Amino acid sequence: MAAGYRTHVSIIADILSTARQYSYEGYESGATVTHLIRKANVPHQRLSSMVSTLTQSGLLYEDSAKYKISEKGIEFLKAYSEFKGFAETFGLRV
Amino acid sequence: MVEILFELPMNLLGLGISAFIGRFAYSGYSTVASPNLLRLTFAFASISLGFALIAGGLFAGSYSQVLTTAGLAAQALGYFFIAFSHSLKSFDLAPPKYFLLLPLAVTGFVIPGNSIEHLVRSISFILLVYVSIETMASYMQSRKSSTLMIGSGLGMLAGAELMSWYEFIYPYSFYIAALLIKVAGFGLIFIPFSKFGLASGLGRMNSQVGSGL
Repeated sequence: MAAGYRTHVSIIADILSTARQYSYEGYESGATVTHLIRKANVPHQRLSSMVSTLTQSGLLYEDSAKYKISEKGIEFLKAYSEFKGFAETFGLRV
Repeated sequence: MVEILFELPMNLLGLGISAFIGRFAYSGYSTVASPNLLRLTFAFASISLGFALIAGGLFAGSYSQVLTTAGLAAQALGYFFIAFSHSLKSFDLAPPKYFLLLPLAVTGFVIPGNSIEHLVRSISFILLVYVSIETMASYMQSRKSSTLMIGSGLGMLAGAELMSWYEFIYPYSFYIAALLIKVAGFGLIFIPFSKFGLASGLGRMNSQVGSGL
């Protein structure tokens, strides 16, 4: 797959996987906004609106100004990985 | 009667496979809200509707030709949705998008006579060739065997449409072979899909974890 533009869904997946990384892999305090900006590679303004949407959808939750992934978010990432594979067999992006 | 005995199971098989893939794509859309999965849903829903109409046409008597043509048009629409998804991709060396329209513009000059059915078949053929080439281009980048299977399957569908189109010149010469190749093409598309759909994806059908995104 060519490294071109990223879709909205793939950016969401990047944000969630960053939050998962900082929630479980020795960073139990959660991911800061700076972590999310750096790892997900999106500008602050766009990230803020996306994080707000993800929090409202219950995929992320805020804890002391840091973001952690919820069980629903982990389920979303699993489904994303599966359907990404499905779309890629057609040569498409999710 | 012999035609019905052969054609009906083939069309029902195609209907089953395409409906199954469409249902899975819809479950993907409802879970992760991806526009490409929505397009694949429309594509396979349209293709399965086409198979249903063609199968219905076998019993429709004098309306048989109308139903068959409507079924072929529905399938062409389905192929268009897949082609449209590919046209939105940005390959590094992608040709301009209006290249897709060029063969469609030429279609009116290359088809013989005034048969709507054969006009639809020629459009389907062009769309399938485009989609097959795009999928093969993706295979060249990803080297995934499942992508190769889908690309080959779509290529077989294109071959089947071309053979069916030739019926206009040589009536009933390639009809059975074209139908067999078409179902084999869908079979090739189904093989990699079964890895996702049957293993776990269908269990997520009612899951809407990404709703509201």
